[in-house]
Amino acid sequence: MSINSYWQIDTAAEPHRSEPSRRPHLPGLIRDRRVPTQNRFDYYVQQAEGAAQTGFDGLFLPYRRDADESRIVAAVIARAVPRIGVIPEFPVSIGSAVYAAKQASTFQRSTHSRLGWAIAPDADVATRLAEGDTVGEEQLDERVDEFLTVARGVHSQRPFTFEGRHFEVKDGGFADPLNRVPFPTVFLQGESEEALSLSARHADVHLFRPQASGQALAGLIETLDGLAKRVDRSVAFGILQPVLVRELDEDAQSEAARIGVVKGTLVGSFDTVADRLAELAALGITHFILSASPSLEEAYRVGQHLLPRLRALTDTARAAA
Amino acid sequence: MSIDFYWRLPTHGCHSSIHRGSYDRGDWSPISQHNIAPGLDRDDQDDGFAYIDHLAAIAKAAESVGFQGGLIPSFPNTDDPWVISPLLARETSSFRFMIAFQPGFGNPVQTARATASLQRATGGRTLFNIITGGGGPAQLWWGDSFTHDDRYGRTSEWLDVFRGVWGSEDFSYKGRFYQVDHGGLPPLFRAEEFPEMWFSGSSEAALQVAADHADYYLSWLEPFDQLTDKFARVKARTAALGGEQKCAIRVDLVARPTEEEAWRDIKLGFENVTDATRKQWRGQATDSVGASRQAALRPTEARYYDELIVAPNLWGGFNLLRGGPALGIVGSYEQCAAKLDELIERGADGFILAGTPHLEEAYRVGEEVLPLLGRSASTLLQQAAE
Repeated sequence: MSINSYWQIDTAAEPHRSEPSRRPHLPGLIRDRRVPTQNRFDYYVQQAEGAAQTGFDGLFLPYRRDADESRIVAAVIARAVPRIGVIPEFPVSIGSAVYAAKQASTFQRSTHSRLGWAIAPDADVATRLAEGDTVGEEQLDERVDEFLTVARGVHSQRPFTFEGRHFEVKDGGFADPLNRVPFPTVFLQGESEEALSLSARHADVHLFRPQASGQALAGLIETLDGLAKRVDRSVAFGILQPVLVRELDEDAQSEAARIGVVKGTLVGSFDTVADRLAELAALGITHFILSASPSLEEAYRVGQHLLPRLRALTDTARAAA
Repeated sequence: MSIDFYWRLPTHGCHSSIHRGSYDRGDWSPISQHNIAPGLDRDDQDDGFAYIDHLAAIAKAAESVGFQGGLIPSFPNTDDPWVISPLLARETSSFRFMIAFQPGFGNPVQTARATASLQRATGGRTLFNIITGGGGPAQLWWGDSFTHDDRYGRTSEWLDVFRGVWGSEDFSYKGRFYQVDHGGLPPLFRAEEFPEMWFSGSSEAALQVAADHADYYLSWLEPFDQLTDKFARVKARTAALGGEQKCAIRVDLVARPTEEEAWRDIKLGFENVTDATRKQWRGQATDSVGASRQAALRPTEARYYDELIVAPNLWGGFNLLRGGPALGIVGSYEQCAAKLDELIERGADGFILAGTPHLEEAYRVGEEVLPLLGRSASTLLQQAAE
């Protein structure tokens, strides 16, 4: 099976970089000729270029409430960097499903169809109310379901009519040439029964968090695969995987001890972590969303040293199969 | 007094000539050898360019000749302004992105967040043309089933919320359509400039919302007396609320070295209008008051181009050539400048101009017409006095 690798560009990470109000102040001794048009977006683009040049297939932009908007960054990056895929994450509470699909069409038309949609889990109730989102807890999954039904519907059918609790369209649907591009690849996530059931109906790729054991992950994959088959669909499997890699295991371990890493991070040498990722691939994971900090330097490290090893391992496994 | 001039980005393709009806820039008409963006290479294969590449060229032309930016329209079969703006953010430097937007498209808090982020990406070059929506089948196409007056109520609340969260870290709101509980933009965004709001709509409900919320009240070009009257009413209504309302006009023009050349181009364009185009524009169903004001011109029934000359240098058939507003300005560079000067005297504070093809005409209007503004009116008055 072929492996899809993505690098995570987190707009909230390394908040001092290229942020005019937060970057380190140069002493008066140094003549500073930076101009106001140099801004944070330079850093996003630079990360994207690094990931593209080191062989990643795509970029994953998590939804961050307190930092730059993933959809805006995605468009800026896509125009600046050729070839690489861009997957902004956003919650369906952004607004109209028809409008979201319309935006996706222009994105696809303008970027040789490099857009993916990652639907972010809905926030807690206090955050939702602060964002003017009054939909009740028990209706959130239903709203995602309707959002994707309507977005796909207007993209691929004309006329398209739908009457749901959250969205309503009459005689809708895109005309030529807006309907010539593919609908964005849909990434959903979560481990709950509801999340898996939603993915069975709507996801192209389902993203898992790192699990306690390979067995636990295999169980989830099997469940989702079964649910999808029941509705005549197939879903690909992915993982949101933080990594900390160095040339040597001991270097990686001591760095992990020094900075502290989030739970589930794979820590080790290039070879060790490649082996672990290849094990996940053997369980059926084909989409690897990798992340590490600082994002720019680590994109080069992971792209140049880890990805080739992972590809070599999965190519060998494929040849053997 | 200084006047704001904007251009337009044609989001439904463009014609290489006003004489022809086919959209040979972009992919809204079948793609043949003379199409561009996308076009065909010598082997008849897709040449790899996309329509965004042509929009980039127009935006760069417009900013280089002095237009502040451009209106980016949004209709069911256009490309989308919210995506176009960040796509073009880094290859333009002063071009301001006027996003046509209907409140029904997005949650106001989420839209405020995304706008603030776009301000950061563009260095504060985002503004809005808020459209409440024409109603009828087009609204249901968008998934919006609100009735006309409800839509204005919603627009008003949407703008309350958008503005409320922008300036506050603790904003609460209880409206008919929107409720917010302790909302506000994150600290990173609070320094961003609030985007200008350009507001369209001709009904009573629209005028009231404009008075409450708009920086600019935007109208299509209408017969001058009618427009003067409308601007006066809008300004009076805002003045009564203690504010000052700026007014702007969206208008196409055909500016040529001589008036004869300008009318010749109109004539050639008119003679190539197909019955299908006439049929498309005849009696379009909408409950929008602005649209019916224009429909009273009935350009679809004209047999000769000169039946549509409603006043010197004003022609009422532009919708047949390109879609959109019917009334536009036709004449020599000096005459076009004089018309714009006259509109400024009648209360216009800003313009969104356009001409076909948008790329070349941005240069022409920017280089030949705009430099004459402010001079021609006084010159003409002088000549009349002599």
